Amino acid sequence: MQHTRAERAVAAGPGAHVGARTLGWERRQRRVYTGYVLPALVLLFLVTILPTLFLFGTSLTNLNPSRPNSLQFIGVQNYVVLLQDGRFWNSVWVQVRLSFWTVTLQILIGLGLAMLLNSRLRFLELVRSVFIIPMVLPPVIVAIIWKILFTPDISPINWALSLVGISAPAWLVHPVWALFAVIVAETWEWFPFTMLLLLAALQMMPDEPLEAARIDGASGLQVFRYIVLPLLKPAIVVAVLFRLIDSVKAFPHIFIMTGGGPGVATEPTNFYAYLQGFTFSLIGFSSSISMVILIMTMGLSYLVILIVGRQVEVE
Amino acid sequence: MSSLAVGRVSSERGASSKRTSAQRAATYAAVVVLILATIFPFLWLLQMSLKTEVAMFEMPPKLVFVPSLRNYADVLTGDFLRSFRNSTVASVATTILSLLVGVPAAYGLARARFRSNGLISYWVLGTRMAPPIAFAIPFFLAYRQMGLIDTVPGLIIIYLTFNLSLVIWMMRTFFEGLPRSLEEAAYIDGAGITQTFLRVTLPLSAPGLATTAIFCFLLSWNDFFYSLVLTRTQAMTAPVAVVNFMAYQGWEWGKISAGGTLIMLPVVIFSFAVRKYLIHGLTAGAVKG
Repeated sequence: MQHTRAERAVAAGPGAHVGARTLGWERRQRRVYTGYVLPALVLLFLVTILPTLFLFGTSLTNLNPSRPNSLQFIGVQNYVVLLQDGRFWNSVWVQVRLSFWTVTLQILIGLGLAMLLNSRLRFLELVRSVFIIPMVLPPVIVAIIWKILFTPDISPINWALSLVGISAPAWLVHPVWALFAVIVAETWEWFPFTMLLLLAALQMMPDEPLEAARIDGASGLQVFRYIVLPLLKPAIVVAVLFRLIDSVKAFPHIFIMTGGGPGVATEPTNFYAYLQGFTFSLIGFSSSISMVILIMTMGLSYLVILIVGRQVEVE
Repeated sequence: MSSLAVGRVSSERGASSKRTSAQRAATYAAVVVLILATIFPFLWLLQMSLKTEVAMFEMPPKLVFVPSLRNYADVLTGDFLRSFRNSTVASVATTILSLLVGVPAAYGLARARFRSNGLISYWVLGTRMAPPIAFAIPFFLAYRQMGLIDTVPGLIIIYLTFNLSLVIWMMRTFFEGLPRSLEEAAYIDGAGITQTFLRVTLPLSAPGLATTAIFCFLLSWNDFFYSLVLTRTQAMTAPVAVVNFMAYQGWEWGKISAGGTLIMLPVVIFSFAVRKYLIHGLTAGAVKG
């Protein structure tokens, strides 16, 4: 802004009422920019804040559209019920395991691949293009593909396992294997994201510390442990947070592959909220579950802002 | 480094180049295996869609076979085509709308130093991160009152929840990266603010606009959840329609694979055509939040 003001002053030339003009100019600029921003903020308010307030409102009622006149204010009763609801806590535990394994695997595979690809390979561009496929596929398609690969009779995986004498487990109907199947699908879909992110970070990394360490006789492992990893840490943290937040939204995989089953073995909180709201019509109760998920993701988003913000300052 | 070890380099060159070429071969081999592992599931669906339902269950699977377009004919003669059109209309409309409203806002936020900038950032990012179920419930209730259940406009509006914030987020970063000198030159020449934005800044922003538009389109095209909750038959989008081949009449693998391929092919071809923007957008968007 300082710069602009100086240039304006020069442009206005000697004798012009510089101070008054620039002040007016800045004010005018501000007014125009406000005009640009306002429609979007109003619209964003209407489609995000207003619905959130509404959601909080319905979470304090026993709203059930399948029953007439069910809209009664019941205070925090939904939340009290929620805290004592075993199925809710089960869904939290499923979500924790799902998030832990998918994020861990995505980071490990992504990091390994990024290290592998971080040489001047001639066909690097092609490789990168191939790796974006899982990520851009509609999640529904990812879920359908893995449903096919984990369904007996039609699955080439089961056939390949039978060739080496292993009889495949009943993937999608066994509590542990069903969660495993969802984790595989989720990881396959998103490891390219962590890989591309970490690869970008690796390629921006300065060469000097690496070379200095090698000259000082550090082994490859030592270079990785003491130089590459610390330099990659900010990118890894960002990748973890983003994947963590997105992992809470996993829906099509569960819906298509397992339906939350067997029983409630693969029913994360998000899916549980969907079932309560749209299958059992308990909109009020479902709203309270959604509020809990919303508050959790908002907390994580705030963490992203804090960390990414600090990172920018360091730069 | 070369100046330090001139003497030794010549004697070591033979050995080190042998080692690096072996390493290189190993790297290439590993990369090829990984690529195959990555695209195998995707190719599997593709080949299934060209087989008859009987051939799909043949093990060992035939990798060379006479392709049949039967599944595609089945899919395209039913209601699937309408769901495909709904997907297209909703995705294109919401992309245009979000750009129209979001791009000027992103520019305003990038150029003006509002005191509330930090708060707005958090709001925009938070919206992007919010779980869809949190919006689905209030929109579902409101749409029931307003008659917007099972309508394409209803979808277009709810897609704004993620697209508008995406546009503001991505384009703001982009505008902040643009040098201001050209804009200032335009001001000095007497151009107004809006004139400068439209004539100077926007033409320079084509790559950013393209990336953002692609992301908006992909996110809307890929949506499953909102369409599942807010549509019934008339406005049903393609991702929900293809899943219905699983639900109602048992699993119709032929229609599922052909319909699935039809949904994913535009996305894959599109992404390949613009992969540079896409990779840049994904990594930059994530690094910068």
